[in-house]
Amino acid sequence: MKGSVIKYERDNIDTDVILPGPYLKIHDYAELATHAMEGLDKDFHKRVKPGDFIVAGKNFGCGSSREHAPIALSYSGIKAVLALSFARIFYRNAVDGAFLLPIEIDESAYKDISDTDSLEVDISTNDIKNLTKNKTYKMKPFPELIGKIIEAGGLFNYKP
Amino acid sequence: MAKTLFEKIWDSHIVVEENGRSLLYVDRHLVHEVTSPQAFDGLRLNGRTVRRADLTFATMDHNVPTSDRSLPILDQTSSTQIKALERNCKEFGITLFDIHSPNQGIVHVIGPELGITLPGTTIVCGDSHTSTHGAFGALAFGIGTSDVEHVLATQCIMMEKPKTFEINIQGKRKNPHAVTAKDIILSIIRKIGTAGGTGTVIEYRGETISELTMEQRMTICNMSIEAGARAGLIAPDEKTFQYLRGRKYVPQNYDECVNLWRENLKSDSGARFDKSFTLGAENIAPQVSWGTNPAMTTDVTGTVPFPDEYGKGNPEEEKGAEKALQYMNLKSGTAITDITIDRVFIGSCTNSRLGDLMEAAKVVKGKKVSSQVRAMVVPGSQLVKKNAEEIGLDKIFKDAGFEWRESGCSMCLGMNPDILAAGERCASTSNRNFEGRQGTGGRTHLVSPVMAAAAAINGHFVDVRELDLN
Ligand code: SF4
Repeated sequence: MKGSVIKYERDNIDTDVILPGPYLKIHDYAELATHAMEGLDKDFHKRVKPGDFIVAGKNFGCGSSREHAPIALSYSGIKAVLALSFARIFYRNAVDGAFLLPIEIDESAYKDISDTDSLEVDISTNDIKNLTKNKTYKMKPFPELIGKIIEAGGLFNYKP
Repeated sequence: MAKTLFEKIWDSHIVVEENGRSLLYVDRHLVHEVTSPQAFDGLRLNGRTVRRADLTFATMDHNVPTSDRSLPILDQTSSTQIKALERNCKEFGITLFDIHSPNQGIVHVIGPELGITLPGTTIVCGDSHTSTHGAFGALAFGIGTSDVEHVLATQCIMMEKPKTFEINIQGKRKNPHAVTAKDIILSIIRKIGTAGGTGTVIEYRGETISELTMEQRMTICNMSIEAGARAGLIAPDEKTFQYLRGRKYVPQNYDECVNLWRENLKSDSGARFDKSFTLGAENIAPQVSWGTNPAMTTDVTGTVPFPDEYGKGNPEEEKGAEKALQYMNLKSGTAITDITIDRVFIGSCTNSRLGDLMEAAKVVKGKKVSSQVRAMVVPGSQLVKKNAEEIGLDKIFKDAGFEWRESGCSMCLGMNPDILAAGERCASTSNRNFEGRQGTGGRTHLVSPVMAAAAAINGHFVDVRELDLN
């Protein structure tokens, strides 16, 4: 996976800013996507390109169980969120619905990666290459169950 | 081997286990209109049925209007979502408490009220505050829509085993009417942080917890998710059994059940927790959040912090506080009691039960809402509303100038017309003070029902320990 970075240097980016409550009534995923990140960054939907990565701080996706949050990001084109840590329900929603990859990175990678950097992520080797800075970081490997659900393409395709 | 309460419930629900991941049986599945439509679509698309419609209960709470229910719903998209739930429940044979049902209400209020929530069971719901049901010694998880579909189809959930976290609240509060369950849980989150419980199931223990009513225990467990925990638990006791007795959906052999629960549903002495935290109850003050997550909270006697004081050397925390203060339009050093407010919201699955309204009514009785403030009470369920009206609480609130509304989530998440205007500042008994949660640009201060009521009367925060609440 290759793409460029949209970085938010913030902890606790919650589901209410990822997809504000009033839009939970929308069924059309493409329309949901136009409101992604609206609570934090009004220009997100203009800026995001297919294949982009979000890079953020701790506890990404905290708050509500709304699957609309990973869906909105996914249909905006976001392939993965790279964060210091994730809130659990967001994490499972992202994986179970195969919407995007929640990738945990360490402090040094988080500090090093800048907005608009180009990254190449390989989850088979856990390598994150920063093509702009010509550096490589390691992502935290997925726990076994999560890795298998991702491999299967979501919870419903996963056969224990 | 000595086991924790969590381990006992977990172990007794394992269908298959392999390398730390488990397929768990689900005893009760609660469904609401916002996180379920895609799940039902998925079932239809794949030709699946609901595995145990008899263990699945639905209500509409998130986007229902809280104004007159005899009128049609004006918001087209809300109305579509509500109709979709009606259709889905009918098609799949699920019990639905719809907008006209005397049992309608916020899903986490009606579950216990109807005796759907039972000790020792596993409960899931497509809603993060499902942790509320842990107050009854039920293992209750919030899940997303894909998992909702999975549970509808299989009555099971796939999970990795959480760690255990014991939170002890020792000693007694000096003034339990002024220092409420909400203040206890806000103090805990303030200390352990919004990610302090990540990956764990919290068991709340100690003298103060046993002293709390069931409703107050629900307030505590409700906000476990705000500390990042997967669930919150309190061991059931005589109060629990008493609360549930005679409710609509409790098992017929209730006394036998109680005997089993009494014997089994507690952590064994000597059981080991992965993590532990102790809080003294004596010195807890009424809490007021000043920032944009529930950990950004301080005592009512305190001041709005300086970012570096809040960050304690952590630059990220410091930056977070700076942004929060900007959003909240607050100046560091301002006394909390000098913060004036525009709106008051008493409601949400955290604090909308009869006890909450009774406590708030004590503050309001015979007084008037400040002319600067618009205040509303949104009972958690139709039953709460009815019970409150029977003892005249509606009159007390209305006479003081509060709006008295129909039950639902309302301004807790701003999906229906009850929202804050940009820049408005609200004293709210809900659980999330995230940016825009109660309306774009709205500013939320989380407080207890008595604190919210006192703020409504005075137009600013006051220390409710100074009032006579007995
Ligand atoms: S009251 Fe608020 S927190 Fe509770 S279920 Fe409704 S929206 Fe969620």
